[in-house]
Amino acid sequence: MEVNFKVQRFDPESTDLVSHYQNYQVEMTESSTVLDGLIKIREEDDGTLSLRCSCRAAICGSCAMRINGEAGLACNTKIVDVIPSDGSPITIEPAGNLPVIKDLIVDFQPFWSKFKAVEPWLQPGEIEPEGEYLAPEEDMIHLAGVVSCILCGACVSDCTVLEVDDNFLGPAALAKAYRFSRDPRDESDNQRLAQLNQPGGVWDCTRCMKCVEVCPKGVDPMDRIMLLREKVMDAGHNNTSGARHANAFAKFLKNSGWLDELRLPVLSFGIFNIKAMIGLIPLGIRSQLAGKRPPIFHHKLSSAKEIKKIFEKVESKK
Amino acid sequence: MIDHDVLIIGAGLAGLRAALSAKEAGADVAVVTKVHPVRSHSNAAQGGINAALTDRGDDWRDHAYDTIKGSDFLGDQDAIEVMCREAGDEVISMENMGAIFNRDENGKLGTRSFGGQREARTFFVADFTGQALLHVLYEQIVKAGAFVYEEWFVLSLIVRDGKCGGVVMMDIRTGKIEVVRAKAVILATGGLGRVFEPSTNALICTGDGMSLAYRAGAELMDMEMVQYHPTTLKGSGVLLSEAARGEGAYLLNSENERFMLKYAPEFKELASRDVVSRCEQTEIDEGRGVDGCVLLDLRHLGEKYISERLSQIRELAMDFANVDMVKEPVPVMPGMHYAMGGVKADIDGKTAIPGLYAAGEVACISVHGGNRLGANSLLDTLVFGRRSGIHAAEMIKSVQHLSIDDSAAQDDIDNINSLLSNEKNESFGQVRLDMGTGMKNHLGVYRDQNSMEKALELVKDVKERAKSIYVADKSKTFNTNLMFSIELGFMTECAEAIAASAIQRKESRGAHTRTDMPDRDDENWLKHILVTKKDDSHDISFLDVIITDWEPVIRQY
Amino acid sequence: MKYAFYPGCVARGACPELYSATLEVCEILGIELDEQALEGAACTGAGVLQEKNLLLADTLNARTFALAEKSGLPLMTICSTCQGVMSQANQRLTEDPEYLAKVNETLADEGLEYKGTIDPKHLLWIIAEDLGIDFLESKIVRKLEGFKFAPFYGCYIVRPSKALKLDENPNRKQALEQVIETVGAEVVEFPGSTLCCGFPILTINPKNSQTMVANHTIDAKDRGADAMVTPCPLCHLNLDGYQPNAAALAKRDIDLPIIHLPQLVGLALGIAPEKMRLNKHLVSTKKLLSELAVAP
Repeated sequence: MEVNFKVQRFDPESTDLVSHYQNYQVEMTESSTVLDGLIKIREEDDGTLSLRCSCRAAICGSCAMRINGEAGLACNTKIVDVIPSDGSPITIEPAGNLPVIKDLIVDFQPFWSKFKAVEPWLQPGEIEPEGEYLAPEEDMIHLAGVVSCILCGACVSDCTVLEVDDNFLGPAALAKAYRFSRDPRDESDNQRLAQLNQPGGVWDCTRCMKCVEVCPKGVDPMDRIMLLREKVMDAGHNNTSGARHANAFAKFLKNSGWLDELRLPVLSFGIFNIKAMIGLIPLGIRSQLAGKRPPIFHHKLSSAKEIKKIFEKVESKK
Repeated sequence: MIDHDVLIIGAGLAGLRAALSAKEAGADVAVVTKVHPVRSHSNAAQGGINAALTDRGDDWRDHAYDTIKGSDFLGDQDAIEVMCREAGDEVISMENMGAIFNRDENGKLGTRSFGGQREARTFFVADFTGQALLHVLYEQIVKAGAFVYEEWFVLSLIVRDGKCGGVVMMDIRTGKIEVVRAKAVILATGGLGRVFEPSTNALICTGDGMSLAYRAGAELMDMEMVQYHPTTLKGSGVLLSEAARGEGAYLLNSENERFMLKYAPEFKELASRDVVSRCEQTEIDEGRGVDGCVLLDLRHLGEKYISERLSQIRELAMDFANVDMVKEPVPVMPGMHYAMGGVKADIDGKTAIPGLYAAGEVACISVHGGNRLGANSLLDTLVFGRRSGIHAAEMIKSVQHLSIDDSAAQDDIDNINSLLSNEKNESFGQVRLDMGTGMKNHLGVYRDQNSMEKALELVKDVKERAKSIYVADKSKTFNTNLMFSIELGFMTECAEAIAASAIQRKESRGAHTRTDMPDRDDENWLKHILVTKKDDSHDISFLDVIITDWEPVIRQY
Repeated sequence: MKYAFYPGCVARGACPELYSATLEVCEILGIELDEQALEGAACTGAGVLQEKNLLLADTLNARTFALAEKSGLPLMTICSTCQGVMSQANQRLTEDPEYLAKVNETLADEGLEYKGTIDPKHLLWIIAEDLGIDFLESKIVRKLEGFKFAPFYGCYIVRPSKALKLDENPNRKQALEQVIETVGAEVVEFPGSTLCCGFPILTINPKNSQTMVANHTIDAKDRGADAMVTPCPLCHLNLDGYQPNAAALAKRDIDLPIIHLPQLVGLALGIAPEKMRLNKHLVSTKKLLSELAVAP
């Protein structure tokens, strides 16, 4: 079948330094992947098209790019799954949130810097075992779900926080941090969690689930970040806006069954965070004038008692 | 010009393990790799790593014998002893560094069965053991602070007076060419799978190291021994791990018969790879195949077991063949997978050229002989990577850098300029495809005199065509077009070495099965075939196989 | 058609206009809302309680589902976040019988049990799937021709696609655009329509949160949008309430009204704007409404 590709090109040695789109038409089969298509273009049509690719089996992580605007591996994306129904071409662009070097090749330097920043290696205790460390199989199977991350950068490409803030460690590095934090052999938890509690760490994730959606290996980076938040709070780091927010949220739910939107932001910012409090005042006044302010007296749900019981029962199991 | 004590080419398991041990021994180490380390092809090893752990009642001698038998008695037994004796420590040290590994009920390392072995001694991380180990070694390299030239491409080895003193390499990102002096160079560039089409190997597996060493005067050994893996996916040729059969999968023909029962009554689906691939090919050739394939049936293992231990290959089969192995059998066929041959090296990775080492798939320490056992390749990379690193770090203490200057790069610069000035003529893609399909057809699971003669003719032809590849991209930045053209040159030389070696071996042994000479001939052929470069052609020589404790016997599974 | 109605905290708190508009619109569309069925149902946890204790959050949602099951009615939400959190909880509960049993053990104290039959649905999907776009069209009395609206979904109604069953219901990815077109208006395509509004980090990282608000509203505005329409009250809160801050951050005017999905539908159904409290937004809808009044 005839397939149309619209590929973003960028030549760093050109004079205008502007990217543009180029259209290609190739003959492919039903079972072909996007990578098959790009390789065919490169080998038969236009040798100047540059991209990274290697294993063709979704394990080396080289060929993450945006396919119709969403990050994925070209090698495990079938053409028939991404051909737009309206007959328009398949759009191929380099991964996002990383500087483009040439065509579909991006500079991974920022990615690796963040990877390195979480000290991504096992930090066991002082006592070395005779043979292997003993570790429960269920923990290892759980960790295998994160270890299977191939560091392709798809999650980083589409992370909505990285789009507005370079300082965020990002989903890949945080998933990696989780992998060690959750390892029963690793004894550096206090130090790791304290670092992850800093700005740019676990609390900056906006829970948009983009990383979960685009990850080609089912690593679920965001879910790992949420588990890190839980660990951070359990370790006693409760003095961030995020931790206060989560704690206050849980407290309101526990006591009344639903949210108290008037008090929640106050408690999240921290009652002594004068600057943020002042920042809330205009919103408060504006809301008041618009008649949008939540009720001043937060009433309990009719079944608040039952809900509180559930809290107590489940929390006691933790 | 840059100087290093030890320069390692390649950042897969062998390269990183060498770098780590050389760094620990105090040497100034740098790794140069044409892809980022975690993109290396060691990733693709799925099933596991073999080791006989004595505290589990296993014996390294049993592992050694299984390996020797698997090699069809072509493996050098002294080297195999080293590998198997050191296997346990190597696996434990990977675990201690952070590899997760699946466990048994006591929290100790768990094992699975693998082909050609009497014990379950394969340690594993689900079905992505290679990736898990590669990432752990990369983490350790980051921790140790070893310097990595990421995305640099080595163009040639610099040899002066028979000694290796460095390399010429190109920064892929900028096109800049640099001469690097090193007191020791360790080749760890992996295999040559792309010489064949199809192959389970990554696009980067272009035999660079073998060709670099060949051009520099080193010997290539056992090159005729090319492994066809029994379970590669229909269509794309993507690898499905032997772990599937290790965990209990069946192979079925079109008559729904577990055909391995008749060929290998004891080991069944877990006979050695050369045996299983031949049986599959026979079934297909005799009309009991299913559309050119046989069927790999895992349904009886159940969804939970498959998703815990074989999740990746389940996804691969779904992504690349639209088959959910939980519900239906997967069509598979033998596919080119591994080069048993490579740069001849000893148990410390030393090659015939002082200063040049080789470890991993690029090397032929002949621990695999005529056929490699599954899960012995990861072991090979780690044991001999480590040994090479340690030896090199010691050796460099007593040597000086050779007197080399930037002019050493001139030949490579000329070669690049000549490639860039080629007129529109041959295309990289077409020449590689012709070479790959030809090599597969003429040097497949079964071979004969006629097919091997055709292979030699083919090689001559593609070697010539490779010189006139048209390079459309003239830029300096990430000129992958130029890189492929240079790699094609490497590949055609590997193809030559394979074809030239194969036609020499007048018997059937391991992966080299001749329909016109179906029997093994221990009388005349318990020897390695070595090939060296001579001008634009080659020389052949022979070397006796080293036998320590295990005399060759008839091989049955 | 009758539904067990789960309005969510925000429609009962900071966005009363969403609640009013929903009641008005549902009445005309013949959607009968039973709020008593879910009387006392807890907050979904909004993804925040999940950070502290996933099992707890799933138990609370299972409780809501059990209440809905008891009523025999399908469950309707009007909040993307509730939709997403409920769908994800439901996926975990229905995929793993052991997990469901564990949760039911807690619910049993109250005499409740979740059997796994609920499929929570947002009003947007109900309009597009249960009623059908043609039915909506048949009820329209006032085509909003000449107006341009930018669709803003909110993360939780588009991801994760598996829990939300987007592959089985591909129209869900385009439902908001379909509604906009059906009411006679033009869709403004802009890059952020399925991205994050920034609400979840509103207090954690105000600058990032407001940058997101600025990017989306400016992108939509500059592509000619008269307003942005969203099925998520949390997105509304951030995009509307923090738009002045975002404008200050971006050093320019934005002034893009952010209206709730039922308000958009209500306008086309001929419901008076003040009945849907369209005058109660922070970014004024005055200009939009006055143009609407004069438009043919």
